[in-house]
Amino acid sequence: MKLKVLPPTLRKNNRYLTVEIKVKSSISKDDLVAIVWDGCVRFQGELNTSNFNLWVMRFFEMGKTDDYYLYKAIIRCQRGFVDDVRSSLALINKYNNDSISITTIGLSGTIKSSQKYI
Amino acid sequence: MFFDLNIKGSSLENNIKLAKEASKYGWDHINFSYNQNEFSDGLNFRDELNENLEDIIDFDYTLEIKSTNINEIRKITNKYRNKASCISVVGGDLKVNRAVVETVKIDVLSRPYLKRFDAGLNHVLAKEALNNNVAIELCFKDVLKTYLSHRSKTLSNFRDIYVLYRKFGFPLILSSRAESVFDIKTTHDFIAFFKQSGLTDDEINMSFETAGNILEFNKNRDKMIFKGVRRVTDEA
Repeated sequence: MKLKVLPPTLRKNNRYLTVEIKVKSSISKDDLVAIVWDGCVRFQGELNTSNFNLWVMRFFEMGKTDDYYLYKAIIRCQRGFVDDVRSSLALINKYNNDSISITTIGLSGTIKSSQKYI
Repeated sequence: MFFDLNIKGSSLENNIKLAKEASKYGWDHINFSYNQNEFSDGLNFRDELNENLEDIIDFDYTLEIKSTNINEIRKITNKYRNKASCISVVGGDLKVNRAVVETVKIDVLSRPYLKRFDAGLNHVLAKEALNNNVAIELCFKDVLKTYLSHRSKTLSNFRDIYVLYRKFGFPLILSSRAESVFDIKTTHDFIAFFKQSGLTDDEINMSFETAGNILEFNKNRDKMIFKGVRRVTDEA
Protein backbone atom coordinates (compact mmCIF):
# COMPACT_ATOMS: atom_id res chain seq x y z
CA MET A 1 0.00 0.00 0.00
CA LYS A 2 1.28 3.41 -0.93
CA LEU A 3 1.65 6.15 1.65
CA LYS A 4 -0.74 9.04 1.31
CA VAL A 5 0.87 12.23 -0.05
CA LEU A 6 1.63 14.80 2.63
CA PRO A 7 -0.34 18.04 2.69
CA PRO A 8 1.58 21.00 1.20
CA THR A 9 2.31 22.58 4.59
CA LEU A 10 4.11 19.43 5.77
CA ARG A 11 6.15 18.90 2.60
CA LYS A 12 9.79 19.84 2.37
CA ASN A 13 10.63 22.89 0.29
CA ASN A 14 13.15 22.17 -2.42
CA ARG A 15 15.57 24.16 -4.52
CA TYR A 16 17.02 22.90 -7.79
CA LEU A 17 20.67 23.56 -8.64
CA THR A 18 21.71 23.40 -12.27
CA VAL A 19 25.32 22.30 -12.31
CA GLU A 20 27.97 22.15 -15.00
CA ILE A 21 30.37 19.22 -14.78
CA LYS A 22 33.73 19.08 -16.52
CA VAL A 23 35.58 15.79 -16.25
CA LYS A 24 38.59 14.24 -17.98
CA SER A 25 36.89 10.85 -18.53
CA SER A 26 33.26 10.07 -19.28
CA ILE A 27 30.82 9.50 -16.39
CA SER A 28 27.26 8.21 -16.03
CA LYS A 29 24.36 9.45 -13.91
CA ASP A 30 25.15 6.83 -11.25
CA ASP A 31 28.72 8.09 -11.08
CA LEU A 32 27.44 11.62 -10.56
CA VAL A 33 25.19 10.47 -7.70
CA ALA A 34 28.22 8.89 -6.00
CA ILE A 35 30.36 12.00 -6.66
CA VAL A 36 27.76 14.40 -5.22
CA TRP A 37 27.16 12.32 -2.08
CA ASP A 38 30.85 11.75 -1.51
CA GLY A 39 31.62 15.46 -1.92
CA CYS A 40 28.90 16.53 0.51
CA VAL A 41 29.72 13.89 3.14
CA ARG A 42 33.42 14.76 2.95
CA PHE A 43 33.03 18.51 3.33
CA GLN A 44 29.93 18.82 5.51
CA GLY A 45 30.00 15.52 7.37
CA GLU A 46 27.33 12.83 7.70
CA LEU A 47 25.14 14.78 10.12
CA ASN A 48 24.89 17.96 8.05
CA THR A 49 24.49 16.07 4.77
CA SER A 50 21.40 14.34 6.17
CA ASN A 51 19.62 17.72 6.07
CA PHE A 52 20.27 18.34 2.38
CA ASN A 53 17.63 15.99 0.88
CA LEU A 54 19.92 15.41 -2.13
CA TRP A 55 18.68 13.88 -5.38
CA VAL A 56 20.00 13.98 -8.94
CA MET A 57 16.86 14.78 -10.94
CA ARG A 58 18.19 15.11 -14.51
CA PHE A 59 21.48 14.36 -16.23
CA PHE A 60 22.49 15.71 -19.65
CA GLU A 61 25.52 14.93 -21.82
CA MET A 62 26.54 18.17 -23.50
CA GLY A 63 29.52 17.01 -25.57
CA LYS A 64 33.27 16.81 -25.51
CA THR A 65 36.06 19.33 -25.98
CA ASP A 66 39.81 18.73 -26.32
CA ASP A 67 40.30 19.02 -22.55
CA TYR A 68 37.19 17.51 -20.98
CA TYR A 69 33.74 15.90 -21.26
CA LEU A 70 30.98 18.38 -20.45
CA TYR A 71 27.76 17.43 -18.65
CA LYS A 72 24.94 19.35 -17.02
CA ALA A 73 22.63 18.12 -14.30
CA ILE A 74 19.79 19.26 -12.09
CA ILE A 75 20.33 18.45 -8.43
CA ARG A 76 17.63 18.80 -5.78
CA CYS A 77 18.44 20.09 -2.30
CA GLN A 78 16.44 21.45 0.60
CA ARG A 79 15.70 25.16 0.90
CA GLY A 80 18.07 26.82 3.37
CA PHE A 81 20.99 24.52 2.58
CA VAL A 82 21.82 25.82 -0.89
CA ASP A 83 25.15 27.43 0.08
CA ASP A 84 26.22 24.28 1.94
CA VAL A 85 25.59 22.09 -1.11
CA ARG A 86 27.10 24.64 -3.49
CA SER A 87 30.38 24.88 -1.57
CA SER A 88 30.60 21.10 -1.19
CA LEU A 89 30.16 20.58 -4.93
CA ALA A 90 32.66 23.33 -5.74
CA LEU A 91 35.31 21.56 -3.66
CA ILE A 92 35.15 18.27 -5.59
CA ASN A 93 38.28 17.99 -7.71
CA LYS A 94 39.08 14.32 -8.31
CA TYR A 95 37.07 11.27 -9.39
CA ASN A 96 38.89 7.97 -10.09
CA ASN A 97 42.15 9.94 -10.29
CA ASP A 98 40.76 12.15 -13.07
CA SER A 99 40.28 15.89 -12.69
CA ILE A 100 36.68 16.97 -12.26
CA SER A 101 35.08 20.34 -11.73
CA ILE A 102 31.49 20.96 -10.66
CA THR A 103 30.13 24.48 -10.57
CA THR A 104 26.58 25.71 -10.08
CA ILE A 105 25.31 27.80 -12.96
CA GLY A 106 21.68 28.25 -11.91
CA LEU A 107 19.28 28.05 -9.00
CA SER A 108 15.50 27.62 -9.27
CA GLY A 109 12.43 26.67 -7.30
CA THR A 110 11.09 24.20 -9.87
CA ILE A 111 12.59 21.67 -12.27
CA LYS A 112 10.78 23.31 -15.15
CA SER A 113 12.33 26.71 -14.54
CA SER A 114 15.78 25.22 -13.99
CA GLN A 115 15.65 23.81 -17.56
CA LYS A 116 16.42 27.29 -18.92
CA TYR A 117 20.03 26.97 -17.70
CA ILE A 118 20.61 23.78 -19.71
CA MET B 1 32.48 44.01 -9.46
CA PHE B 2 34.18 40.63 -9.07
CA PHE B 3 37.97 40.76 -9.03
CA ASP B 4 40.35 37.82 -8.98
CA LEU B 5 43.92 39.05 -8.53
CA ASN B 6 45.59 35.69 -8.75
CA ILE B 7 45.00 33.42 -11.73
CA LYS B 8 48.16 31.58 -12.65
CA GLY B 9 49.39 32.86 -16.00
CA SER B 10 51.08 30.59 -18.51
CA SER B 11 51.04 30.51 -22.33
CA LEU B 12 48.92 32.84 -24.47
CA GLU B 13 46.46 30.09 -25.46
CA ASN B 14 45.97 28.92 -21.90
CA ASN B 15 45.47 32.49 -20.66
CA ILE B 16 42.79 33.10 -23.29
CA LYS B 17 41.05 29.85 -22.33
CA LEU B 18 41.08 30.76 -18.63
CA ALA B 19 39.90 34.32 -19.25
CA LYS B 20 36.97 33.17 -21.39
CA GLU B 21 35.93 30.65 -18.76
CA ALA B 22 36.20 33.28 -15.99
CA SER B 23 34.10 35.72 -17.99
CA LYS B 24 31.45 33.02 -18.58
CA TYR B 25 31.28 32.37 -14.83
CA GLY B 26 30.69 36.01 -13.92
CA TRP B 27 34.13 37.47 -13.15
CA ASP B 28 34.68 41.08 -14.20
CA HIS B 29 38.44 41.42 -13.83
CA ILE B 30 41.27 38.91 -13.53
CA ASN B 31 45.00 39.25 -12.97
CA PHE B 32 47.40 36.73 -14.45
CA SER B 33 50.18 36.11 -11.97
CA TYR B 34 53.73 35.30 -12.99
CA ASN B 35 56.77 34.78 -10.82
CA GLN B 36 59.88 36.96 -11.14
CA ASN B 37 61.49 34.63 -13.71
CA GLU B 38 58.49 34.43 -16.05
CA PHE B 39 57.05 37.94 -15.68
CA SER B 40 59.05 39.44 -18.60
CA ASP B 41 57.97 36.59 -20.90
CA GLY B 42 54.35 37.22 -19.92
CA LEU B 43 54.66 40.92 -20.80
CA ASN B 44 55.84 40.01 -24.31
CA PHE B 45 52.39 38.76 -25.44
CA ARG B 46 50.35 41.31 -23.49
CA ASP B 47 49.23 43.21 -26.63
CA GLU B 48 48.15 40.02 -28.36
CA LEU B 49 46.24 38.97 -25.24
CA ASN B 50 44.63 42.39 -25.11
CA GLU B 51 43.40 42.02 -28.71
CA ASN B 52 41.88 38.62 -27.98
CA LEU B 53 40.16 39.62 -24.73
CA GLU B 54 39.14 43.16 -25.60
CA ASP B 55 35.36 42.72 -25.35
CA ILE B 56 35.42 39.70 -23.05
CA ILE B 57 37.05 40.59 -19.73
CA ASP B 58 39.44 43.11 -18.14
CA PHE B 59 42.81 41.69 -17.27
CA ASP B 60 46.13 42.76 -15.78
CA TYR B 61 49.35 41.24 -14.56
CA THR B 62 50.40 40.40 -11.01
CA LEU B 63 54.03 39.85 -10.14
CA GLU B 64 54.20 37.01 -7.66
CA ILE B 65 57.57 37.02 -5.90
CA LYS B 66 58.62 33.66 -4.55
CA SER B 67 61.76 33.91 -2.47
CA THR B 68 62.91 33.50 1.10
CA ASN B 69 65.65 36.12 0.76
CA ILE B 70 64.34 39.49 1.98
CA ASN B 71 66.95 41.55 0.13
CA GLU B 72 66.08 39.77 -3.09
CA ILE B 73 62.37 40.48 -2.54
CA ARG B 74 63.11 44.22 -2.08
CA LYS B 75 65.32 44.27 -5.17
CA ILE B 76 62.70 42.56 -7.36
CA THR B 77 59.95 44.84 -6.01
CA ASN B 78 61.91 47.98 -6.95
CA LYS B 79 62.69 46.56 -10.38
CA TYR B 80 59.11 45.71 -11.36
CA ARG B 81 57.10 48.30 -9.35
CA ASN B 82 56.13 50.34 -12.43
CA LYS B 83 55.51 47.36 -14.70
CA ALA B 84 53.08 45.32 -12.57
CA SER B 85 49.61 46.45 -11.50
CA CYS B 86 49.93 44.35 -8.37
CA ILE B 87 52.92 42.89 -6.56
CA SER B 88 52.37 39.97 -4.25
CA VAL B 89 54.83 37.90 -2.25
CA VAL B 90 54.24 34.26 -1.39
CA GLY B 91 54.36 33.93 2.39
CA GLY B 92 54.86 31.03 4.74
CA ASP B 93 58.29 31.91 6.06
CA LEU B 94 57.97 34.06 9.21
CA LYS B 95 60.80 36.37 8.19
CA VAL B 96 59.23 36.90 4.78
CA ASN B 97 55.77 37.49 6.30
CA ARG B 98 57.23 40.14 8.64
CA ALA B 99 59.32 41.88 5.97
CA VAL B 100 56.41 41.99 3.51
CA VAL B 101 53.86 43.53 5.89
CA GLU B 102 56.46 46.21 6.72
CA THR B 103 57.01 47.18 3.08
CA VAL B 104 54.71 49.83 1.62
CA LYS B 105 55.79 49.07 -1.93
CA ILE B 106 54.32 45.56 -1.79
CA ASP B 107 50.56 45.24 -2.27
CA VAL B 108 49.78 41.69 -1.16
CA LEU B 109 51.12 39.05 1.20
CA SER B 110 49.85 35.88 -0.43
CA ARG B 111 49.06 32.84 1.70
CA PRO B 112 50.93 33.58 4.97
CA TYR B 113 49.87 30.10 6.20
CA LEU B 114 51.61 28.16 3.40
CA LYS B 115 53.50 25.04 4.55
CA ARG B 116 53.05 26.04 8.19
CA PHE B 117 51.27 24.58 11.21
CA ASP B 118 49.72 27.98 12.09
CA ALA B 119 48.19 30.94 10.29
CA GLY B 120 51.57 32.72 9.92
CA LEU B 121 50.03 35.96 11.24
CA ASN B 122 49.80 37.40 14.73
CA HIS B 123 48.64 40.69 16.22
CA VAL B 124 52.00 42.38 15.49
CA LEU B 125 51.98 41.46 11.81
CA ALA B 126 48.28 42.32 11.55
CA LYS B 127 48.94 45.87 12.85
CA GLU B 128 51.87 46.30 10.47
CA ALA B 129 49.75 45.10 7.54
CA LEU B 130 47.12 47.70 8.41
CA ASN B 131 49.67 50.52 8.80
CA ASN B 132 51.42 49.76 5.52
CA ASN B 133 48.23 48.88 3.63
CA VAL B 134 49.45 45.40 2.68
CA ALA B 135 46.58 43.06 1.86
CA ILE B 136 46.53 39.46 3.04
CA GLU B 137 45.46 37.02 0.36
CA LEU B 138 43.62 33.74 0.90
CA CYS B 139 43.49 31.28 -1.99
CA PHE B 140 40.55 29.03 -2.80
CA LYS B 141 42.89 26.56 -4.48
CA ASP B 142 44.61 25.72 -1.18
CA VAL B 143 41.32 24.23 0.02
CA LEU B 144 40.31 22.80 -3.35
CA LYS B 145 43.50 20.79 -3.87
CA THR B 146 43.82 19.43 -0.34
CA TYR B 147 41.64 16.85 1.41
CA LEU B 148 40.80 15.43 4.84
CA SER B 149 43.16 16.62 7.62
CA HIS B 150 45.12 19.05 5.43
CA ARG B 151 41.91 20.71 4.26
CA SER B 152 40.71 21.01 7.85
CA LYS B 153 43.99 22.60 8.91
CA THR B 154 43.88 25.08 6.02
CA LEU B 155 40.30 26.06 6.96
CA SER B 156 41.40 26.42 10.57
CA ASN B 157 44.20 28.78 9.44
CA PHE B 158 41.63 30.78 7.45
CA ARG B 159 39.51 31.16 10.60
CA ASP B 160 42.51 32.36 12.62
CA ILE B 161 43.14 35.02 9.98
CA TYR B 162 39.44 36.05 10.07
CA VAL B 163 39.72 36.65 13.84
CA LEU B 164 42.70 38.99 13.33
CA TYR B 165 40.97 40.63 10.35
CA ARG B 166 37.89 41.45 12.46
CA LYS B 167 40.01 42.91 15.27
CA PHE B 168 42.58 44.89 13.29
CA GLY B 169 40.86 45.49 9.94
CA PHE B 170 43.81 44.98 7.60
CA PRO B 171 42.94 44.63 3.89
CA LEU B 172 41.89 41.08 3.03
CA ILE B 173 41.53 39.72 -0.49
CA LEU B 174 40.19 36.42 -1.76
CA SER B 175 41.43 34.79 -4.93
CA SER B 176 41.16 31.49 -6.75
CA ARG B 177 44.73 30.93 -7.98
CA ALA B 178 43.26 28.85 -10.79
CA GLU B 179 45.72 27.03 -13.02
CA SER B 180 43.29 25.33 -15.39
CA VAL B 181 39.64 25.53 -16.40
CA PHE B 182 38.91 22.90 -13.75
CA ASP B 183 39.83 25.35 -10.96
CA ILE B 184 37.59 28.25 -11.99
CA LYS B 185 34.19 28.40 -10.28
CA THR B 186 31.25 30.76 -10.62
CA THR B 187 31.33 33.86 -8.44
CA HIS B 188 28.33 32.52 -6.49
CA ASP B 189 30.13 29.27 -5.69
CA PHE B 190 33.22 31.22 -4.66
CA ILE B 191 31.16 33.40 -2.30
CA ALA B 192 29.23 30.38 -0.96
CA PHE B 193 32.48 28.64 -0.04
CA PHE B 194 33.92 31.63 1.84
CA LYS B 195 30.58 32.11 3.60
CA GLN B 196 30.79 28.52 4.75
CA SER B 197 34.33 29.07 6.01
CA GLY B 198 33.12 31.85 8.31
CA LEU B 199 33.13 35.18 6.47
CA THR B 200 29.99 37.31 6.23
CA ASP B 201 28.49 38.73 3.04
CA ASP B 202 29.76 42.23 3.85
CA GLU B 203 33.29 40.99 4.48
CA ILE B 204 33.33 39.12 1.17
CA ASN B 205 32.05 42.17 -0.71
CA MET B 206 34.69 44.26 1.06
CA SER B 207 37.41 41.88 -0.14
CA PHE B 208 36.37 42.40 -3.78
CA GLU B 209 36.32 46.16 -3.15
CA THR B 210 39.82 45.97 -1.65
CA ALA B 211 41.10 44.15 -4.73
CA GLY B 212 39.63 46.90 -6.93
CA ASN B 213 41.18 49.58 -4.73
CA ILE B 214 44.64 48.01 -5.04
CA LEU B 215 44.45 48.21 -8.84
CA GLU B 216 43.09 51.78 -8.72
CA PHE B 217 45.78 52.88 -6.23
CA ASN B 218 48.57 51.43 -8.36
CA LYS B 219 47.37 53.28 -11.44
CA ASN B 220 48.21 56.53 -9.63
CA ARG B 221 51.19 55.27 -7.66
CA ASP B 222 53.78 57.11 -9.78
CA LYS B 223 51.96 60.42 -9.12
CA MET B 224 52.09 59.86 -5.38
CA ILE B 225 54.63 62.17 -3.70
CA PHE B 226 54.12 60.61 -0.29
CA LYS B 227 51.20 59.08 1.57
CA GLY B 228 48.15 61.32 1.20
CA VAL B 229 49.69 63.72 -1.38
CA ARG B 230 49.16 63.14 -5.10
CA ARG B 231 50.15 65.22 -8.12
CA VAL B 232 47.02 66.08 -10.18
CA THR B 233 47.13 67.29 -13.77
CA ASP B 234 43.52 68.42 -14.31
CA GLU B 235 42.71 72.03 -13.50
CA ALA B 236 39.89 72.48 -11.01
